[in-house]
Amino acid sequence: MSNIIKLEIYRYDPEKDAEPSMQAFEVPVTKAGMKLLDVLNYIKWHIDGTLTYRKSCGEGVCGSDGLNINGVNGLACITPIAGLKQPIKVRPLPSMNVIRDLVVDMEHFFDQYRSIKPWLQADSPLPEHERLQSPEERAELDGSYECIMCGCCTTSCPSWWWNGDRFLGPATLLQADRWLKDSRDEKIGERLDQLEDAFKLYRCHQIMNCMDCCPKELNPTKAIDHIKRTLLIRKS
Amino acid sequence: MNKDRGAAHNGLTDWYWQRLSAVMLLVLIPLPFALLCAVYMGVLDQFELLEIFSHFVPLLLHTLLVFAIIVHAYFGLKLIIEDYVPAALMRVPLTGVILLIMGTIGIWWLALIWAWGG
Repeated sequence: MSNIIKLEIYRYDPEKDAEPSMQAFEVPVTKAGMKLLDVLNYIKWHIDGTLTYRKSCGEGVCGSDGLNINGVNGLACITPIAGLKQPIKVRPLPSMNVIRDLVVDMEHFFDQYRSIKPWLQADSPLPEHERLQSPEERAELDGSYECIMCGCCTTSCPSWWWNGDRFLGPATLLQADRWLKDSRDEKIGERLDQLEDAFKLYRCHQIMNCMDCCPKELNPTKAIDHIKRTLLIRKS
Repeated sequence: MNKDRGAAHNGLTDWYWQRLSAVMLLVLIPLPFALLCAVYMGVLDQFELLEIFSHFVPLLLHTLLVFAIIVHAYFGLKLIIEDYVPAALMRVPLTGVILLIMGTIGIWWLALIWAWGG
């Protein structure tokens, strides 16, 4: 690997720029095993302090640095530079309004998340200590509770690009499925009523971009299919 | 901000029929291909082929195949229209036109094969 990392980064300040542009940067390799976030930090701290992007934990837990890296969505903090074709093209998450450079407006994404009421709903009286689950019931949630809501899957979904105003998208539907599977939740009927919609749920055509790009290696397509099958079982 | 635009509860029905018709196609499509291969290989001539289609069971299978093709094509086109035509004022009439066309083709096809069989 060369000692220089070449990048082209999407730059756009809606208050100043008429249109977006790609800016080239060259960054020295400062340590072994550099991640893309290390490179962005280097640019921010040593080359161009105006470069704007989100970051927080730097360990693939908070989900704030979701970016489009060489055409594939992923988290900058866990994407190794080694193996990325150079110049590395870094763009904001697709189909989102850009606030500045690599920072996108996530409001609609989280509005959709809130719409599925992602919290435990139960009418039965609260037990003395807590609502218990057996290990088997808890295991049902594996593969969905790990989602960090980075938006990589939803913004890689063509169905969400075309119908993002109504289609809930893979991340939200994965979470919807998580609450359907939760043995403690008592509002399955209401949740299914809300999901049974040609646009909210059935825009998923199993393209599987969501599964390909998920940084946590989750499978939203499978979760969406599970919701469809649950609706079918309810009907029949 | 309330963004809820109501529900379109036809999603499950469309999904169910599209998958059911896909399974029917998977089972039925090889049959006409096998017959065509038999004709091309000289095992059957055209009159023998027509003779096969004059019996009840082949006619029934042919009818099911036509039904599966029409249903699958209609729901496939409906999905494409729903994906790419956001305005309901255009989407709903367009879906109606597709239904009309597919229905006409289906009825014409069935009339043809049952008249032929008869």
